[in-house]
Amino acid sequence: MRARGRGLPAPEAEVDDDVLVRRAVMGDRGAFTEIVERHGPALHRYARRLLPDDGATEDCVQETFLAAWRALPRFRGDAALRTWLFTLARHQASAQHRRSAGNRTRPQLRPVDPVDLVDTADPRGDPAQLSEEGRLLGDLDRALRLLPERQRSAWILREVEELSYAEVGAVLDVTPTVVRGLLERARASLVTTLAAWR
Amino acid sequence: MSAEDDLARATGLLRAHTDSSWTGIREALLERAAAAFRPSAPVRGRHALGDFFVASDVVVAQLRAAVDAVPGATAVRVLCTTGEADVLEQVVVELSVRYGEALRDVAAAVRAAVGDALGALLGPLSPGVAAVRADLHVTDVDLA
Repeated sequence: MRARGRGLPAPEAEVDDDVLVRRAVMGDRGAFTEIVERHGPALHRYARRLLPDDGATEDCVQETFLAAWRALPRFRGDAALRTWLFTLARHQASAQHRRSAGNRTRPQLRPVDPVDLVDTADPRGDPAQLSEEGRLLGDLDRALRLLPERQRSAWILREVEELSYAEVGAVLDVTPTVVRGLLERARASLVTTLAAWR
Repeated sequence: MSAEDDLARATGLLRAHTDSSWTGIREALLERAAAAFRPSAPVRGRHALGDFFVASDVVVAQLRAAVDAVPGATAVRVLCTTGEADVLEQVVVELSVRYGEALRDVAAAVRAAVGDALGALLGPLSPGVAAVRADLHVTDVDLA
């Protein structure tokens, strides 16, 4: 009988964000990689809906994590890591808009490509169901595009990323009361828009 | 189905959705971060003449050298965490240990070596042996 031991250490059990941050501050790139793996998909999802195309989103997410890596030693932990990263991403997206907007006043969003659904859809699923889900996501993206940026950000951060009112307020630099108002207006607009498209 | 139901369903779909373009940029992102310069974080030490700071890269390099000097052990990864006022709180050493070594003995020797190195580096602000965790991984075990 021949047995072979593992060549690499097993990954640690789920480590809290604050521990990852403290390790990354000390230069541990493995901890930073874990931060990227943990929060990257959500940041990309958020940035993708603030920016006009994949290229701009890629730049935004890369710059966000690069800024985070450089600024980690100064990150005081007053806010959760996740909230801080969304704040950085929003600032990066705003900076890109200022650089490239020209006379455009509202970002142009792309509807979800059904190809993107491969990550979440059951591959054995009914094609009609897949198509229906792609249509729904596409409609939601188009409806989101019609919202002012603050309403759109508030809605995505609360309803999709499930941040608290206080955390959304921290990202948008407004009070939780203002967040509540933004969410109410966003939700009403989305329902009205989707109803009109039925 | 009402528009409100549609919105609720679409929200759930978006929550579970990962953009396909994310996977394409992940590697490039990590490469850029790895290449980006960042000053090393400070670790506070104490001397009779006052406090001083040691770069975290220096602390990690010194601990790695101390571990590698222990017979039968090799440091795979050294993780340090600091707390308030940049004081070192914990050290986790992930070790690769040669098959056949007495694991308890190796772990104890590593803890002692790391404790000594920390004391020499940081003085009274060393967290001591109690703050050192040795994670052992036995590698390349071949049983004929």
